[in-house]
Amino acid sequence: MLRFLTRRVLGAVVIILAISFITYLLFFVLPTDPAQLACGKNCSNKVLVAQIHHRMGLDLPVYQQYWDYMRGIFVGRHMPDGQNCAAPCFGFSFANDQPIWPLISDRYPTTLSLAVGGSAAFLIIGVGLGMLSAWQQGKSFDRVASSISLIGNSVQIYFIGPLAIALFADNLGWFDHGHDPTWSSDPVGSLNGLVLPCLVMSVIFWSNYSRQTRSLMVEQLSEDHIRTARAKGMSSKYVFYRYALRGAAASIITIFGIDLGSVLGGAIITEATFGLHGLGTLAVNAVYQLDLPLEMAVMLISATAIVVFNIVVDACYALIDPRIRLA
Amino acid sequence: MTTLTKPEAEPRPQESEHFLSVRDLYVQFATEDGTVKAVDGLSFDLDRGKTLGIVGESGSGKSVTNLAILGLHNPRNTTIAGEIVLDGQELTGASTKTLEKLRGKKMAMVFQDSLTALSPYYTVGRQIAEPYMKHLGASKKEARDRAIEMLGKVGIPQPQTRVDDYPHQFSGGMRQRAMIAMALVCNPDLVIADEPTTALDVTVQAQILDLLKDLQQETGTAIILITHDLGVIANTADDVVVMYAGRAVERGTVRDILKTPEHPYAWGLLGSIPRLSASVDVPLAPIPGSPPSLLNPPSGCPFHPRCTFAGEVGGDRCATERPVLPEGRGSACHLTPEQKRDIFIQQVQPRLR
Amino acid sequence: MRNSKARLAAAIVAAGALSLTAACSSGGGGGTGGGKGGSSAAPSKAPVPNYGLGTAADSTGPAPAVPGAVKGGTVQDLDQAGFDYLDPGQQYVSDQLSVSVLYARTLTGYKIDPTTGKTILVGDMATDTGKESDGGKTWTYTLKDGLKFQDGTPITSKDIKYSIERLFADFETQGPQYIQSWLYGPDYRKAYAGPYTGKDIPDTLLATPDDKTIVFHFQTPHADAPYAMAMPVTAPVEKSKDDKAAYNNHPVSSGPYMISSYKQGKSLVFKRNPYWDPKTDPIRNAYPDGWNFQLGIAEPGLSQRLEAGAGTDKNALNLSGSADPSQMQTLVTDPQYKSRSINQYQPYVETLDINTKRITNPLVRQAIAYAFPMSQVQQAFGGAAQGDLGTTLLSPTIAGWKQFDPFGKLAKPTGDPEKAKQLLQQAGQPHPKLVYAYANTPKWQNVSLSVANALQKAGFQVVRKAIDPTSYYTVVGKVNNQYDIYRTGWGADWPNGSTVIPPTMDGRNLSDGTNNYSFLNDDHINSEIDRIKAETNLTQQTKDWEALSEYSLQHDTAQVPFLFDKFFNIYGSGLGGVTYNSVTGVINASTVFVKQ
Repeated sequence: MLRFLTRRVLGAVVIILAISFITYLLFFVLPTDPAQLACGKNCSNKVLVAQIHHRMGLDLPVYQQYWDYMRGIFVGRHMPDGQNCAAPCFGFSFANDQPIWPLISDRYPTTLSLAVGGSAAFLIIGVGLGMLSAWQQGKSFDRVASSISLIGNSVQIYFIGPLAIALFADNLGWFDHGHDPTWSSDPVGSLNGLVLPCLVMSVIFWSNYSRQTRSLMVEQLSEDHIRTARAKGMSSKYVFYRYALRGAAASIITIFGIDLGSVLGGAIITEATFGLHGLGTLAVNAVYQLDLPLEMAVMLISATAIVVFNIVVDACYALIDPRIRLA
Repeated sequence: MTTLTKPEAEPRPQESEHFLSVRDLYVQFATEDGTVKAVDGLSFDLDRGKTLGIVGESGSGKSVTNLAILGLHNPRNTTIAGEIVLDGQELTGASTKTLEKLRGKKMAMVFQDSLTALSPYYTVGRQIAEPYMKHLGASKKEARDRAIEMLGKVGIPQPQTRVDDYPHQFSGGMRQRAMIAMALVCNPDLVIADEPTTALDVTVQAQILDLLKDLQQETGTAIILITHDLGVIANTADDVVVMYAGRAVERGTVRDILKTPEHPYAWGLLGSIPRLSASVDVPLAPIPGSPPSLLNPPSGCPFHPRCTFAGEVGGDRCATERPVLPEGRGSACHLTPEQKRDIFIQQVQPRLR
Repeated sequence: MRNSKARLAAAIVAAGALSLTAACSSGGGGGTGGGKGGSSAAPSKAPVPNYGLGTAADSTGPAPAVPGAVKGGTVQDLDQAGFDYLDPGQQYVSDQLSVSVLYARTLTGYKIDPTTGKTILVGDMATDTGKESDGGKTWTYTLKDGLKFQDGTPITSKDIKYSIERLFADFETQGPQYIQSWLYGPDYRKAYAGPYTGKDIPDTLLATPDDKTIVFHFQTPHADAPYAMAMPVTAPVEKSKDDKAAYNNHPVSSGPYMISSYKQGKSLVFKRNPYWDPKTDPIRNAYPDGWNFQLGIAEPGLSQRLEAGAGTDKNALNLSGSADPSQMQTLVTDPQYKSRSINQYQPYVETLDINTKRITNPLVRQAIAYAFPMSQVQQAFGGAAQGDLGTTLLSPTIAGWKQFDPFGKLAKPTGDPEKAKQLLQQAGQPHPKLVYAYANTPKWQNVSLSVANALQKAGFQVVRKAIDPTSYYTVVGKVNNQYDIYRTGWGADWPNGSTVIPPTMDGRNLSDGTNNYSFLNDDHINSEIDRIKAETNLTQQTKDWEALSEYSLQHDTAQVPFLFDKFFNIYGSGLGGVTYNSVTGVINASTVFVKQ
């Protein structure tokens, strides 16, 4: 396990470095001139543009810029104009010259909560429904559930989001409208504010998971070792949960690992739909404002998150399936 | 009706005299294409301490029969008729709960292909210990000790450490031994071994069969040995049922079947066994054709399309009239006993030598 | 003047009918507007606001009462993005100007009559709009009594000098540069690097003879200096609270409200500044007890919330953003919104710019003007709701605006291909080739198709070239660009041609990234610019700019104006006194009150 983790972490570092370098090149070297983007209306003032170049360190060679940037993330930076950027330093926003990191640290709890909460919701609902369908295979519940899954599969967050708000928050008043979590000061309120967004976000995922779970469970239940377990006198329930689910879980986790990127995407759309302030809306605004340092930071952080979570998923996979433990 | 093990005995006074008695068993699967008659009126008996071999090609209904005994068929699409009585207890109508209590405790099964038949996710020890905890209420510790004991018994070296291995860390032979340990962990009265040696090489095959026999002598378990290979039966079984298309076509003692088989299908099976003593010049003679579709079995004798000797029977009897299997020693074939004897001695036996 | 960058986001996303004018804010570009419209106001008639200079009496507080207004309550503002800059020195974009008025007082400011909408410039912190001397080169302002920062510290002329000095610091890159370059010339940053170097601007340029007086000594005459003083750059910055770039997140208030909490892009909450004295303020009524800005509210949800007005949304508005295009139809046609909607000109003019370096024959340029299909383009914009047909290079929001239509566009708004053909024959080029660059969004695709069709009818061979919307202005702003026609938008910084004609028509020192997108270089215009700039009589100057814009349109035809952008949005039924500032193109927060 230790070797497995070491190897994966080293691999992840290489991947993240590669991503960072490529995005850095794409963002800071290819466009016409970041200073032109940063100076707004006043770009006809050549002195100003030169000054911005110097402030951004754009007058240095590319490798030096990249090194300064990456180093800044770990040890902080002193910018050429004397501004201090404490670690983790992701540079300064083109849009308003403020350091990037405080903005991100303000936003990531929302996205993380949504991603975790939404994933929990769709895993519980989706896998649960799939298991029930597999258990009731061929009966009416199974058929109803597959129809619901089909509908769930064809809706979109931005479509059902407003409907759900109108119905469950405005009319019925069951749930909060959804707001940004503030875990330290108001954990209960934060939880309330996340229920509806997480449920809505889960809809586009759980239909897929319920179908996958159902077919995986059905497939597992027809495996020879299930028959063996039943031949030993183990009850159907026991066999279902201990044997079939364990086998299906390995595949579900693999699917989940592949879906991590989509989960992040789903969180972003959900943020926009519910007016939450997370990394997603931040990144989208950054794109529209051509705020490259902010985009770069969000991209690096989400890439890192996805890579890290993938390692976690793989580790879980290894825990579930002993055959790959040492692989 | 006579028992197979005591062909000379008088008809039994009551059915419960036998440890296991299967009467007129029908197993049918509903499929999209129609009804599959997997088992079509099968009867046999088995006593404690004895071994019954069930022989036939794949698809002949032998595995289905035994799944039906354990109640492991899929209840949604399977209909079962007839009776299965185990130690005086009727199994065909028994509740799931009753069956679950019997399975693994009173009757156990050793499956073929131990790689897929064991769960890859749990240790061998845990899989052996599970039924012991369930049926005998043993603690985890006791069950683990029992698993180690069983592993030792079936000849796994260093069972104390191997008990924590996963199936994929075992060799094929070891896995089959572990399967046997798992089947025997609760000292069942009936063990059904379904092709227990199919995937193994010849040396290991012999070891596994010896192991089964040794364990039987030790515990007095009744064994049903399912195989497509008459060679496996030779040293192991007491009685044999030959199945074809869901029916028993011949039954007798192992000696009867090997020395004086009566049914052309049994002759075919015999002919397909490789023998160390056989001349290399005489090729193996597989049975021509392929097993019939059970959706739409041939009329009359289901074997007639593949039977070389159907012409010896007058008219189209083979194609129209279903031959009956007599009770006790006998075969379901329209050939006269003389024809059977003559053909075997004159045409079949020479090729077996 | 540029428009909100947030509008750019909306423009690209919604794309439907929303103007992409703000795209210019990206690449060093021109000013523009998010043109959105509403009910069709009578097209092209001079609006009420007159943009004149108010007297000292007009400059005396308190602000005239708004009929029916009461104190108290909290106004909710729903904003799509947020405010990049709260540091007054960095504020230039309209959404920033809309919030600035709540906490930053300036030397002068626009006083808007709550009933008529008449807009005049008055002294805000200053006792009047300024006293000129030395032929318009020296401007003297006297501060009122009782001006205080939010911590009770009196505001002196030194504080204003300090805030002007800050504009020279290297992190101050976004704000307007008028005052700096008027003091030091265009390369002002080389001459002075800001107060953090330990140096002051010498008294010969910017003097504070006493705590109440500040004197600007400009290098050339600037009759429109009072307007420049109304931009947030003259808001006082308290030196002891100044932490350079980080000041952006917690500016010290001199106005009626101060920031009680700010989370960038999420929320901005204002409470009353106890040291603001209404008697000193002729502009701000400040009826509500607080303002609560909810930032980062996505469209069309934002517009839908304004429509529904549930809960606190009853008291909600959107100071600087127009309604979402998807809601426009409902809002314009459903009478229930009429009583709570704002539909006014923005200071932006949409033009089709002709690259005079490539299309050198004025007759060909005139042919383009005649052929241009204004009505079809207005439709592609989303109808009259989005903007009025416009035929002048100056917007109706400029003092002294006059109707002028040399090509008879209003008579034939769908284009006059016959006249165009005739001109092309005259020019000896019956089928000139035109490379047409447009920003690649659905809206501009539609517009470009309408325009290309009409031009082809007149005999032009049009080649359309799509350009990435985010770099559109950078691309068309290159002097050697390979395009013949492209649309731009420009808005005045104050209601005077001085912030339109020099930046967009001065042909000297052409280089990449200036705002003269047609690269027009007309000696007459160049010399007139110098002459009118030196004009000390503001009224005369206003007239002369107007005349020069007419000359440029008729004689050079380097730009074909076609639409005046309009602002349209609704506000919550719980609000009253909602007026509009047509100079900045946003709702005037000063007069708003919460109905009780």
